[in-house]
Amino acid sequence: MAMHFIFSDEAVLLFDFWSVHSPAGMALSVLVILLMAVLYEGIKVGKVKLLHKTLESLPTATSQQLILETDQDSAGSSSPPVNRTHLRWFLCHFGQSLVHVIQVVIGYFVMLAVMSYNTWIFLGVVLGSALGYYLAYPLLSMA
Amino acid sequence: ENIHQEMDHSHHMGIYHMDNSTMPPHHHMTTSHSHGGGDMMMMMPMTFYFDFKNVELLFSSLVINTPGEMAGAFVAVFLLAMFYEGLKIAREGLLRKSQVSIRYNSMPVPGPNGTILMETHKTVGQQMLSFPHLLQTVLHIIQVVISYFLMLIFMTYNGYLCIAVAAGAGTGYFLFSWKKAVVVDITEHCH
Repeated sequence: MAMHFIFSDEAVLLFDFWSVHSPAGMALSVLVILLMAVLYEGIKVGKVKLLHKTLESLPTATSQQLILETDQDSAGSSSPPVNRTHLRWFLCHFGQSLVHVIQVVIGYFVMLAVMSYNTWIFLGVVLGSALGYYLAYPLLSMA
Repeated sequence: ENIHQEMDHSHHMGIYHMDNSTMPPHHHMTTSHSHGGGDMMMMMPMTFYFDFKNVELLFSSLVINTPGEMAGAFVAVFLLAMFYEGLKIAREGLLRKSQVSIRYNSMPVPGPNGTILMETHKTVGQQMLSFPHLLQTVLHIIQVVISYFLMLIFMTYNGYLCIAVAAGAGTGYFLFSWKKAVVVDITEHCH
């Protein structure tokens, strides 16, 4: 495996079927990797937004009650409204964990693509991360 | 000559696809890649594969050869990824609890009508030689080493081990973020 950056139109990325041997194929691959990097940055912001949304959608009183209950580890004795809130919270947190898995996998895929030491791919990752950060992070400070 | 090499390569890839279930890909490539000094080139797999024979894991003494060993490695990698997520959450919690000094810096800035406004910055921090900071540093080193280990494990391109990393990270996040998510700091950015 070459251990230095090279400019080349040939690469095999991640999977056996993803083999590139033409400029057009390389351009398309760079675009896909770029979008993957954009998605990675977007998911990072998306996780925080998802958390804010779930915290806001719970009525304030029950969310405070939720905090108290998880702190005291009280079991049983929950009235039905709190049970429903607990279930919604559980589902939201489960969804967040799935998003986290996707984030981990995409992060590793981008790392492995950079490991191909193809300079075009690397530039695609850098550009995609920049674009993703530029587009996604302002959304973080919005309500 | 370039065209010939490319044709050889795709021909061998075709053979590999036909007996997918029996031959580990990187072995197949080293034995049939026959031009020049090309023997070293395909030792490390560069695409995902599912196999449990002759899988080197991080250290030269850790070689997986049987399904049983692969199952053990899967569990170990799964637990390592879970531990990594837990360590991240634990460090965040420790940092929040140990932030002792809060400094308020006020500085004059020009306002819209030529008036002077006071802009106040709030800084939270730790003392450098305090025990919490030393503990954070030690945990940081452990976190860096484990994150590199997980990266190297994913770099084996072995499908089972990669799934173990992803599943362990998800499970660890699910279990350890459960309580932490309730007391999250809104101004915190993703790392």
